[in-house]
Amino acid sequence: MAAPATRVTAPSNGAVIRALDVTKTYPPAVAALTRVSLTVHPGEFVAVLGPSGAGKTTLFRCLTGLTRPDTGSILVNGTDIDRVRGRALGRARHGVALIFQQFNLIRRLTAVENVLVGRLAQAPTWRVVIRRFARADRQLALRCLDTVGLLDRAWARADRLSGGQQQRVAIARALAQEATVILADEPVASLDPESAATVLESLRSVAATGVAVVASLHQVHLARAYADRIVALRAGTIVQDAPATQIDARTLEQIYDRNGEPTEGAERP
Amino acid sequence: MSSAVLGSPRDYPEPVTSWLSASRLRFALILLALAAFYSASWHLARVEPGKLMTGLPKMASWAAKAWPPATDELPVLLQRTAETVAMAAIGTTAAAILAIPLCVLAARNVTPSMALYYPARWFLNALRGVDSFVFALLFVAAVGLGPFAGVLGIALHTWGSTAKLWAEAIENIPPGPIEAAAATGASRLKVVAYALYPDVAPSMVSVGLFWWEFNVRASTVLGVVGAGGIGQELKNSMDLLLFPRLFTIIALILVTVTVIDHTSEWLRRRLE
Repeated sequence: MAAPATRVTAPSNGAVIRALDVTKTYPPAVAALTRVSLTVHPGEFVAVLGPSGAGKTTLFRCLTGLTRPDTGSILVNGTDIDRVRGRALGRARHGVALIFQQFNLIRRLTAVENVLVGRLAQAPTWRVVIRRFARADRQLALRCLDTVGLLDRAWARADRLSGGQQQRVAIARALAQEATVILADEPVASLDPESAATVLESLRSVAATGVAVVASLHQVHLARAYADRIVALRAGTIVQDAPATQIDARTLEQIYDRNGEPTEGAERP
Repeated sequence: MSSAVLGSPRDYPEPVTSWLSASRLRFALILLALAAFYSASWHLARVEPGKLMTGLPKMASWAAKAWPPATDELPVLLQRTAETVAMAAIGTTAAAILAIPLCVLAARNVTPSMALYYPARWFLNALRGVDSFVFALLFVAAVGLGPFAGVLGIALHTWGSTAKLWAEAIENIPPGPIEAAAATGASRLKVVAYALYPDVAPSMVSVGLFWWEFNVRASTVLGVVGAGGIGQELKNSMDLLLFPRLFTIIALILVTVTVIDHTSEWLRRRLE
């Protein structure tokens, strides 16, 4: 049985994400997150920086309810994502769109059909089965592609698009979900510098429309160039949470072992 | 390569290996076991090359008697061939329709519950384990002589085989797009219908075509157990030693199978 839906309308002061003292320890005793607190407001573009193993992925998993923290609370759009189950959890997740490093598009479908994945939850099942979405949904999907500058590739198959274009389709898919939060776990890690720039440009313009964007990045210069705010994680704790313009070289040395670049040897699969 | 790159040579230690190592001993044991297996099989299969030496001339004389092939019954034989192709088509299609729900249950990554996964797998393995020939034999007894028994036999065996191959195709698709679709909060049915289906459809059609092609070949012999089609004519001709007629039948089977093989192969290639 699913637990009753507990809708907690906490004093979130307009914040779309409010994580308080989140701690997560993996057995036997790996502290992935230690008393992490993070508040994100609509329209903010927050970059999460940190070497591999700093807890970035665990933080993202906690924010989507995929991993349950040991202590602390996480409010997403006012719902305590740690307390809800079943359909209520589905609804809460629908408010959070995910963007993956590997794009995860359905390769044999067109760009616009991939964007329509963002409408799956609302569309009637029969429409999904016969692949005929309502006009309003189709128009919304095209508008989302237009927003990321890919309207001219709308009817191209996903596997015919470049990596950067595929990631922009993934952003359009997240937009079509009409989520208030977009979480992007290393969205540009598998892209060339030029594509990475267009993708981050798209994410920034999305944030400008009022969507909160939280993206984990590996490159410090990209975070400084595109994000409003930089949250630096190291060994499961936030060592810095400041506007991007105020992050200085000394702080970056604190995050990474050397020169503001992640240590190669620390990479984990 | 200059020694400046490699550095100066020195004596590197290597692991000590004896001539009679454990792995060599194991290899010898495997060879011995294989030799025992084949010698037992040779006796059980009663392989007697001498019999082949006396039998071959007999076959050669049949072949000589078979020329010229009988063409007077060609219309009947063509109808029987069409019956065989139709048996395979109906049986395979029925199997494919029945396999759709079963392959979802039997695919580990999309099954609604492991409590359905295992029974589905056992059921499919049971269907697969019994050949369509054996099924047809049972159905001839149940529904009488004729192609319908063949259709049922083909359908049951192909149901198990197709659903299993389809389930494996589903299990082999990349999990990312499915996860991405599920993460939007969409139901399992929607995810399967929208995100999974386009990825597996080509391999599903390819598997279906393969089984149709396979079943055309298989159903040529179903007539032997009384399940209709060209196989029945084949058995009759053999029983009555009508070699010219037999020649025509075998030629018809060869032509049909070749045409179907090429059509199916061409269709499968077009699926990319």
